[in-house]
Amino acid sequence: MTTVPLTRRARPLVAARRGMLSGPGWLPWVLLLPALLFALMFKFIPMVEGLRMSLFKVQPFLGDQWVGLENYRTVLTDSRFRSALGHTLLLGIGQTVGALVLGFLLALLLEGQTRSLWVLRTAIFLPVVTAVAVIGEVWRILYFPTETGFVNSIAGWFGLGPFGFLNDPDQALVSVMVVGVWTAAPYNMVIILAGLAGIDRTLYEAAAVDGVSRWQRIRYIVLPGLRPAISVLLTLAAIRSLRIFTEVFVLTGGGPAGSTEVWMTRVFSLGFQRNDLGVASAASTLLLLVTVVLTLGMRLLTRQKESGS
Amino acid sequence: MRISPRRAAAALSAMALVGSLSACGGDDSAGDAGAPLEFWTRSGPEGATTYKAILAAFTAKTGIQVNYQGVLEFDTQLQTKASSKKLPDLWVNDASLLGTYQGQGYTTPVEPGQIEGGDAIDAATWQQNKGLDGQLYGVPYSRQAFGTLVRVDWRKKLGLPQPKTWDDLTALATAFATKDPDGNGKKDTYGMVVPGSSKNGYIGWWGISYIWQAGGDILAPAGEGKYKSVINSPQTRTGLEFIRRQFCTPGNVVPGSLNLTTSEAPFFQEGKAGIYLTGPYAFGTYDKILGKDKYEVVPMPKGPVSTTTLGDGENIYFGAGSQKSDEAKKLAAFLISPEGQEIGMKAEESKYPTVRLPVNRGVDVHKVLGDPRWDLIQKQYLDDTKTFVWSIKFQPIRQALGEGVNAMMSSCDSDLDAGLKKLDQAITAELKAQDVLG
Amino acid sequence: MSMSSQFDTALGWSPRLGVGKVLRILLCAVVLFVFAAPFLTIFAGAFNKTTDSTQVTLYPQDPTLLGFQIAGEKGIWGYFLNSLVIVGGGLLLQLTVSVLAAYALARRKFRGHTVVMLLFLLTMMLPEEVIAVPLSQVLAELPFLGISLKGSVFGVILPVALWGFTILIMTEFMKEIPREIEEAARLDGVGELRMLWVIVLPLSKPVLGVATIFGFMMIWDQYLLPLIAADDPSDYTLTVALSVLRSDGTVGPGVLLAGALIALVPSLVVYLLMQRSLIRGITAGATKG
Repeated sequence: MTTVPLTRRARPLVAARRGMLSGPGWLPWVLLLPALLFALMFKFIPMVEGLRMSLFKVQPFLGDQWVGLENYRTVLTDSRFRSALGHTLLLGIGQTVGALVLGFLLALLLEGQTRSLWVLRTAIFLPVVTAVAVIGEVWRILYFPTETGFVNSIAGWFGLGPFGFLNDPDQALVSVMVVGVWTAAPYNMVIILAGLAGIDRTLYEAAAVDGVSRWQRIRYIVLPGLRPAISVLLTLAAIRSLRIFTEVFVLTGGGPAGSTEVWMTRVFSLGFQRNDLGVASAASTLLLLVTVVLTLGMRLLTRQKESGS
Repeated sequence: MRISPRRAAAALSAMALVGSLSACGGDDSAGDAGAPLEFWTRSGPEGATTYKAILAAFTAKTGIQVNYQGVLEFDTQLQTKASSKKLPDLWVNDASLLGTYQGQGYTTPVEPGQIEGGDAIDAATWQQNKGLDGQLYGVPYSRQAFGTLVRVDWRKKLGLPQPKTWDDLTALATAFATKDPDGNGKKDTYGMVVPGSSKNGYIGWWGISYIWQAGGDILAPAGEGKYKSVINSPQTRTGLEFIRRQFCTPGNVVPGSLNLTTSEAPFFQEGKAGIYLTGPYAFGTYDKILGKDKYEVVPMPKGPVSTTTLGDGENIYFGAGSQKSDEAKKLAAFLISPEGQEIGMKAEESKYPTVRLPVNRGVDVHKVLGDPRWDLIQKQYLDDTKTFVWSIKFQPIRQALGEGVNAMMSSCDSDLDAGLKKLDQAITAELKAQDVLG
Repeated sequence: MSMSSQFDTALGWSPRLGVGKVLRILLCAVVLFVFAAPFLTIFAGAFNKTTDSTQVTLYPQDPTLLGFQIAGEKGIWGYFLNSLVIVGGGLLLQLTVSVLAAYALARRKFRGHTVVMLLFLLTMMLPEEVIAVPLSQVLAELPFLGISLKGSVFGVILPVALWGFTILIMTEFMKEIPREIEEAARLDGVGELRMLWVIVLPLSKPVLGVATIFGFMMIWDQYLLPLIAADDPSDYTLTVALSVLRSDGTVGPGVLLAGALIALVPSLVVYLLMQRSLIRGITAGATKG
């Protein structure tokens, strides 16, 4: 495959590798010092402390009690955690794929140089820059589960509903997912637009001469050209989706009937409402492990694919 | 390579600036004997205003400085404080957290005799604060009973009487939802406000009164400070059936309630719903927003067995590791003194009382407030209230109750018996985990 | 470039009026409605005289500034100022720290390169809700230094100084800068830090734009951190204040939406100012693996 972004990328990468200057050996460490210090203070020390707590029954005024891996066992055998894991994965996959597809469609629709398209793209980017708490607040009102509710009244024009949305255990997870897709799709759109801009236009021309249809053009030129952009999006989305918390907490708090409970809301209610910091720490350590494995796996996979092509 | 001296100097001075500024921020000194007394309450801005009025009077009288904070997300904050072993010297929070605080060693025991004026509190009220080890933890500060608030203008407009029974209450809710009580021609009013989220067990808090009125209960003592779950009973089922009748009659409950906590359910003050079973602390707010003439507190409509409602309260807890226990006790004494209690009840500025029913025998609700609604709440409290079990870690039980009831209400044809069985198992497991299963 | 317009876009949209164009306009209208309508409701709600929690309007009815006035009485401007100070200081520090680190990672070969990179990647994966408790201990008493950051803006500014994401995108970007430029500068006797300042930094403008936008959003959105770093309600930031407003029974959703609108404006301004470099930066960054 010889798509343009790939060849364009190949040159600077080689240059970059050669481009690393040796210089004095201590210089990089001086430059890295502030970052490493901040990481140590505010990330690694708390992380190690979290790890420590996951091995104890935490009770600061009575003395912490060593319990070994007991907290981990509790998490792994807890049925609530298992269903939370299911919800997290469903939500993560649905949200990632949904936002990717919608972002792609938006990019196809809004690609172009005119001023009106620029304005449209700006307007559509709004959800990305809005605080999650505000989004949750607004959507809770939009989702109001009677025919007078905003979304329901629109559905009513098409003879649908009224839906229960967040109030219905069967619809709540999908409703949360829709809000997630709505917030993330414009971001994906911008990245995919950037990817589209990188595709060589002469390929389209050549294809047109060969008489390929629009659909084939998308399938054989555009999609392969976007692959690098998409793989970045997927990695980031995977990391984020496992940690999903605020959206769910603001919209449903995990309910109704636990139908939207995700890993982090469970951790939160155990840690802060049940005062069980040990188990909460164990659960989040597990989450950290899974995230690390997943991210490294994905990086390896994309790297392999690229060197293979 | 060379770094220009000018740039190096600039970088150094910038670093020095950052250093000195962050040192300025470091004046936190909880636990330090020389610092002011640290006092926390779980309050929003309104409640904090009321506490500040009490504290102003306290400082004027004793000269003791108090570093007061009304804290949101209180439990999160207290936990972070506890983990660095710097708890406030004293704090006020729900009475039902007593077992949690005692069980984790956050709070220290107290004797009525150690608090000046402690004998002005009834012995029975003191005894409510008994921990599992038989000692008293926490000084009673305020007590309350849940009451039923009804939009009196709506009720009169529809020509309906005050509800006396569960059936009356159901009928009233349906009427509010269907007969356009606000007369705007739109079908946008509802019967009851229900904070129905399982978050923090909210729905359990609201629903427990109806379970009790049907003769059901959550826990029963099994002797020697042990408890057993009695939730799975026909009586509890009756209570839950009543609650579900509300959820499954369209409009009787504000739609979407299953995800709402108290602060997210402002429908009563917004004039969207006409019935609210809640604590009496928000009268002032409703007077301001709705108007005093728009709503009434009705005597509790009777269930199949009783009119029992949830009795609740707030305690003053003394933080473990405090170096100022003498001063803390002085502040506690002032908080329960007639003067402190009256300021907390009247809440002149914010209209948000932090003392609901006084614990001090010398303070008369009627004389202080002269408000028949408060008289009714007091009557309900004295006649027919029940409290949660405060001595054990009740939070997880309430959480389990909330999750169970929330799940059972989320569907109109779910199997209540199966739901109760599951809830019973969850509560039993929690009792066992706490080592108080009898 | 004299390419026919049908090759300008992947779908080959035609600028001439026809079925395709009408369809596109229609779709754009739907998309605009779906993504912008919720913002109209924030706007409308903030100016509405009466608001309730069950319904929204798309335009203000009976417009009033009462919501803003009450929000003002509740101290929203003080919280706003806190947020501005924190976001300003935090962003400046974050960019400085990241530029230095990225320069080292992108332009210098040294032992331990991979390990450092992995460490920064790891920081991105920590669920912050969970390190909240230990982090609050750190804030109350900095390890080795014993200083407390609680109740000071530095309690929020310092912890956000390190963000793996910024370091990663900056590193990726700086790798692309051709070595020849740097070598030429070196031959001219340009020192190391000067090299960063006069050569690499100007060339990194697009990525600085991206980092500014994302850094701003990341810091502006912080909720748990300002909450645990606060020592007193007057230390709260706008996001925390919004939840105070939400749980305040005396104010309606109108006041909350007024607060939300106030919180939205700075994000919007930053986005509009930085939009061009965002697109350029992402274009430069996203086509890498």
